Amino acid sequence: MINESKRKTWAHPWSYREGTIITATILVLGFIIQAAGNGVILRFAGFPWNLLAGFLFVALLIIAFVLWQKHPVVKGLGGVKVALPAILGFTLLVLLMGFVKQDVEPQSTIARLFGLAHLVHTWPFILINVYLLVLLGIVTLKRFTPFNLKNAGFFLNHFGLFLVLFSTALGSSDMQRLSMNCYEKQTESRGIDASGKMVEVPFTIELIKFNIDEFRPKVTVIDNQSGQIIEEKGKSPLEMLDRNAFDLINYHIEVEQFLETSVKAGDGYVATNEPGSATSAKVKVTDTKSKSEVTGWICSGSFALQPEQLKLSGHYSLVMLPAEPRKFSSELNIRAKGGKSTTTTIEVNRPFKTDGWTIYQLGYDKVMGRWSKLSVLELVRDPWLPVVYFGIFLMMGGAAFLFITGKPKNGGSEHVA
Amino acid sequence: MEDLNMWLEFPVFASIAIACWLAASGLFFTSGKKLMNDLAAALSLAGILVLLIFVVNLWMHIHRPPMRTLGETRLWYAIFLSGIGLVSYLRWKYKWLVSYSLGLAILFLIINLQHPETYDKTLMPALQSPWFIPHVIVYIFAYAMLGASSVVALRNLFFVPTEKTVKGPIQMADNLVYIGFSFLTFGLLFGALWAKEAWGHYWTWDPKETWAFITWMFYLIYIHYRYRHPMEHKKAMGVLAIAFLVLLICWFGVNYLPSAQNSVHVYSE
Ligand code: HEM
Repeated sequence: MINESKRKTWAHPWSYREGTIITATILVLGFIIQAAGNGVILRFAGFPWNLLAGFLFVALLIIAFVLWQKHPVVKGLGGVKVALPAILGFTLLVLLMGFVKQDVEPQSTIARLFGLAHLVHTWPFILINVYLLVLLGIVTLKRFTPFNLKNAGFFLNHFGLFLVLFSTALGSSDMQRLSMNCYEKQTESRGIDASGKMVEVPFTIELIKFNIDEFRPKVTVIDNQSGQIIEEKGKSPLEMLDRNAFDLINYHIEVEQFLETSVKAGDGYVATNEPGSATSAKVKVTDTKSKSEVTGWICSGSFALQPEQLKLSGHYSLVMLPAEPRKFSSELNIRAKGGKSTTTTIEVNRPFKTDGWTIYQLGYDKVMGRWSKLSVLELVRDPWLPVVYFGIFLMMGGAAFLFITGKPKNGGSEHVA
Repeated sequence: MEDLNMWLEFPVFASIAIACWLAASGLFFTSGKKLMNDLAAALSLAGILVLLIFVVNLWMHIHRPPMRTLGETRLWYAIFLSGIGLVSYLRWKYKWLVSYSLGLAILFLIINLQHPETYDKTLMPALQSPWFIPHVIVYIFAYAMLGASSVVALRNLFFVPTEKTVKGPIQMADNLVYIGFSFLTFGLLFGALWAKEAWGHYWTWDPKETWAFITWMFYLIYIHYRYRHPMEHKKAMGVLAIAFLVLLICWFGVNYLPSAQNSVHVYSE
């Protein structure tokens, strides 16, 4: 082995020094271009240019490999000593993302100039991705020729990651994400994209019904001054039911009456299911220390009803928190341009696919809560998804290989470049 | 209603488990006899079973998988860590590893005893998915494996005098890293597939995702470094120790970072 410290930079075989210089140059250059462009956020060109660029990239990579695979530069780029600085450089960029809040308006001029709040769309990020793709492409080709089944795990890991990086980068510009407001009994076929532009989709959606299923509201004690919940170690806000009793901090609470849906009537509440009704309860609260007693109503409130709290002392009050949604869903009728119509129900985690679009349940009118007539949908079209998924499944195969075969026994010495 | 707070019974279960594990570690250290070692292994197992009973009970009482709060994940960590310690003892007979693992598991139980988490039966709709359980279990298993590997790393860094004697233990670290890393990869990819199903995009660079990715990259660096430099043991162990530091930030620290306000991933306490 050549003495590392005496070897001239760029003399072959390449080592960490060259790897680090290349990676550092890419990062510094990237940030300079970014700053020179005055912090403009980058978007790739869409179809068909991204597809073309992708083909060109892969073709060039293969041609270069076939022509020069014996060349020391290609050998260098296919080695761990160049790969490690590259991986580390990418990691450093991602670390930056881990510390600087992303996707917000940048606070400082520096953050704005270098695109620090939108790192994914900046030159250094894109350049280092291209560089990683070159390296991954070269190692994949290197281990693929001559073909040897022993390299299956290696191939799955490296080519899988190649595909995922490649297709997410190229596909990002073809992906459409729209938010659509649907009102009950009305049809809609337009959504709004991230830039606020109205986009027409090739079908119409009618919201037949929006449903919310809520958890029972919880009760807790708050500080009158600050409005903060008084935390009691080991206990969370409690749920209540009719005629039960429980303890909260130093209060014993007996539920005298519990109304799942009710409206205010005089000093108390009456059960009803009309819009705007809310959960209420009549409780008797005993302070276990002073033995003093208070009786009164508490109510979680709604868009039409004031929440009601019960004052326990000069310091504390008993409150019923707003109900949290357990599940919300939209019954939809989707009519394609051709006339075919489908009825389906979507909810969070259960989207519906049609015409290359996926329809997700996003939200509703929070002020109206359970009585919302509005369902907010998200519509996503992502034509590159199958390629991304293919890459993900290759990587899963690779991970399974790592688990089953473990570390190469000889520590990899047979492949050392 | 009364039994909603299973955690009130936690000190009993935790004390039994801790007692079992302390006794097991004591036996492992003081006696070389096979019978005593077997007894120690049995005690370790007993502690694990006691915790498992608690977790299963908890799961049934709160009507959701107990994998949401930090306290709940610590519980799984204790179970997996002690389990891995025991299995690796049975497989490789490393007594120090099982004692370390039990010690760490005890530490997690003690943290839980000191900070009883608030227990919350509600699970927001986005988390009500068939992906939830595999995603979290796989991650916790990975963390436990990688945690054990860094125990090996620290021992190799500080207590192994020469490069030569480190050979056996370093293979153990590699085994643990490969298994842990493959689970970490699965966790990352499951998370991506789930996010696509729930939110319409597989990767949004949410702070927790970002840190999970950084963690993954550091273990990737370890794997490549070890592959290229099979003989540089101490440096490799240094990389492994740093990787674990990143993992800890990902697990505990993200909540406190300025970049992490409103993350869906931040554990609710
Ligand atoms: C980020 C981009 C990556 C680059 C640039 C890269 C580069 C390399 C290089 C150059 C080698 C040595 C190959 C040889 O000498 O023939 C290697 C080996 C290896 N890489 Fe990667 N790699 C990357 C990602 C990954 C990923 C994602 C995994 C696993 C999930 C992985 C797992 C491995 C393993 C296990 C080896 C040892 C070789 C073997 O098992 O046969 N690498 N990598």
